[in-house]
Amino acid sequence: MEEKYGTTQKSNKLTKRTIVSSIIILILIPITILFGVFVLDDRKYVFISILIILYTMIPFLMVFEGRKPQAREIVIIAVLSAIAVAGRGAFFMIPQFKPVVAIVIISGVCFGGEAGFLVGAVSGFVSNFFFGQGPWTVWQMFCFGIIGFLAGILFRKGILRRNKIKLLLYGLLSTFFIYGGIIDIGSMMMATGKFDFRVLLTYYATGFWFNVIHAASTVFFLFILSDTMIEKLERIKIKYGLIESGNN
Amino acid sequence: MADHFSRYHPVVNFAYFILVIGFSMFFLHPVYMIISISGAFIYSIILKGEKGFRFNIMFMLPMLIIVACINPLFNHEGATILFYLKNGNPFTLESVIYGVVSSTMLITVIMWFSCYNCIMTSDKFIYLFGRIIPSLSLILSMVFRFVPLYKKKIVTISNAQKCIGNDVTDGNVIRRAKNGIKILSIMITWALESGIETADSMKARGYGLNKRTAYSNYDFMTRDIIAVTIIISLGLFIIVCSILDITDVRYFPTIRFAGFSTINIFSYIGYFILCYTPVFITIWEELKWKYLISRI
Repeated sequence: MEEKYGTTQKSNKLTKRTIVSSIIILILIPITILFGVFVLDDRKYVFISILIILYTMIPFLMVFEGRKPQAREIVIIAVLSAIAVAGRGAFFMIPQFKPVVAIVIISGVCFGGEAGFLVGAVSGFVSNFFFGQGPWTVWQMFCFGIIGFLAGILFRKGILRRNKIKLLLYGLLSTFFIYGGIIDIGSMMMATGKFDFRVLLTYYATGFWFNVIHAASTVFFLFILSDTMIEKLERIKIKYGLIESGNN
Repeated sequence: MADHFSRYHPVVNFAYFILVIGFSMFFLHPVYMIISISGAFIYSIILKGEKGFRFNIMFMLPMLIIVACINPLFNHEGATILFYLKNGNPFTLESVIYGVVSSTMLITVIMWFSCYNCIMTSDKFIYLFGRIIPSLSLILSMVFRFVPLYKKKIVTISNAQKCIGNDVTDGNVIRRAKNGIKILSIMITWALESGIETADSMKARGYGLNKRTAYSNYDFMTRDIIAVTIIISLGLFIIVCSILDITDVRYFPTIRFAGFSTINIFSYIGYFILCYTPVFITIWEELKWKYLISRI
């Protein structure tokens, strides 16, 4: 498949924007947390945590707005998000069994980290118009988005390939550790209002099976969807000359 | 009782929820919490009737109890020791109360969000943010259109597949699953291709050339100006009170909070009016309506 549709693998270098986004995530977030600890006296955790998460998403959105995206880019992101939201709606009766992460990963792999992030964040936000907004919306947007972003970066770096085993492994690990790990921190913060490692462990323990189901559903959807969907996206890219239009 | 607050301008709705939800997350002072949770409770019943009441009792109460129990098991601060746990850690009154307080905060925020979900529909959100984040709000409005469109399209494809005996109802389990995936696959191809066509059509009609204008369904009327002025000035008043440490509360090691001095009572009244604004608006409009009817 790589040879056949290997058009996106042109360079292994990260684009400038990806580097900027990485700096924001790796340096600015810790600074904000320290600000919360030292300036705001380490109180108001819920508020600070939600602010931090919003804060981390703003640069992505601003960069996207700032470069006046093309109509095709906008529509593709909307289509992928809508597929993810409709998919989540189709399986609403099984808790935590949702295809969102799988579609986000595929978007990240095919259209790069930024598109992956946007598809994730938009899907999280829009699906909660159907499932109910709450303080958790921000966390979900962030988790879905970051998984898509990482998928895009790892793919560009050549670590993640269009190899099914690697995709499934990434889906499993990212859903269980990134999504589960961050969402449980979020629910703890919302419930107890502060960060306590022992309480977090109980949240991890109680959330364990939910995270297992979620990770399994991601693997399941990646297993059935990844080949066909990647093929379709690559075909669309070739047919309409969309190749990495977002990365110039 | 029908809700009337939702008919106000989106700016009024959004400013109200930002303030109320933010304050509910920030204040752990018992008086403020009681004002906020009662306001959210009453308003959710106005909005959703019996369903809202049932939701609040059936889901919120167990949640309150479960979350409240977690805190004293892990938090051993506090001066009033009730007894010792098996592992030798003290079980304190303050941590029990803090558990109840923090879980009350959580359910208050969830209740306010359930009201938010009824009031702040997607079109209002897109209207508000269309200027600030034009591309993203365009994406959002497209997604809202696509979701029902795709559901319909799946039915169409499924009917077409039924004609050639490839529907999800044909054959054994494996064949059904395969047919289901095939239908999904057709849908995705169609979605992507028609999406590109939409994009080309947008471009042909001049997307991205000049500043886009937006259709707006909302007028900013006098009542909106009055409402937003009241809401924002009350919000500023509460923020000033919180800077002056009036809203502060201390739970550990002993419980201390500001009581009922004059300025405190003023801040309680201000917060009460803020949290109950939609309730007051609804009552006011209902009374006005009754009065107008009685004059006929």
